[in-house]
Amino acid sequence: MIVGMGGSDKFNNQQILVVGATGALGGAIARHLQVEGADLIVSGRDQRKLAALTAEFAGSSLSVDLSDSTRCAQLAEAVGELDGVVYAAGVAPVVPVRYLKDADIEACLNLNTTMPLLLIRELLKKKRLKLGASIVWISSVASARGTAGYAAYAASKAGLEASARCLALELAPKRMRVNCIAPGMIKTEMADATAERISDEALAAHLKAYPLGAGQPADVAAATSFLLSQESRWVTGITLPVDGGFSI
Amino acid sequence: MSLAKFIEDFEAAVEDIEPGSLTATTKYRELEAWDSLAFLTVIAMIDAEYDLRLKGDVLKSCETLAALYAQVSA
Repeated sequence: MIVGMGGSDKFNNQQILVVGATGALGGAIARHLQVEGADLIVSGRDQRKLAALTAEFAGSSLSVDLSDSTRCAQLAEAVGELDGVVYAAGVAPVVPVRYLKDADIEACLNLNTTMPLLLIRELLKKKRLKLGASIVWISSVASARGTAGYAAYAASKAGLEASARCLALELAPKRMRVNCIAPGMIKTEMADATAERISDEALAAHLKAYPLGAGQPADVAAATSFLLSQESRWVTGITLPVDGGFSI
Repeated sequence: MSLAKFIEDFEAAVEDIEPGSLTATTKYRELEAWDSLAFLTVIAMIDAEYDLRLKGDVLKSCETLAALYAQVSA
């Protein structure tokens, strides 16, 4: 029987790690889970934002720049046993292939695809994931739909989703679940930075593709909560679009 | 860095522009080839070739290639 699914009882002090919590999406997810009773460990690169976030609630924080596997191992070492993991860190170079720099491609694939996988590897090696733990990776609608300028980003998110399906099968015997969320256009700093690099016409045309208009970080946070919780206990290996109808 | 080289780079970035067809006084936003992809590509070209992350607003506000070059070389 599933009990205590509402308000502050939903997570009942479950230990949940949110990576990329200093970003707009990660921060919204952390705040949402905290209200629902999770005991949070938040991680991010921006120490100032991390301090501000942890000052809001009584959680732990770990300032980590996930640039290599060593950092993943350090992060895994620093946490206790977890009920859930959210990976919301990411970068989005918006550059036509002709001008893509090696460093941009490497950084994008590294942070968006390689690091979430390595983090789970390290958590598994160190037995930091409880039986029945839920893992949620933040992907993007870009993984399934071509957009000029997004080749590296789309590849990184498609790779992330493919990894999630395989990992879901590997972890199912332990009742652990692995799912992705594919947000569409969400009002965040990353979206603002992207908007600065595209024309008004292209931005307007893109927005028109959303029957419900642009989304808010809270929309992604609510979906993340669902996938982390026992409400989705029979759901694994999926990518849940949270996109205002963009992918219809 | 020179205006002539910048115009060459601009011509190379935007599809369907004949090399040597543009000048310093060309109003680039009025070019037939100027579209959303050209916009994105010119910003990326300036980043790659001139190591400058130009905001879209600059591209929207300049009129001529000379004016754009002045922003890039400032």
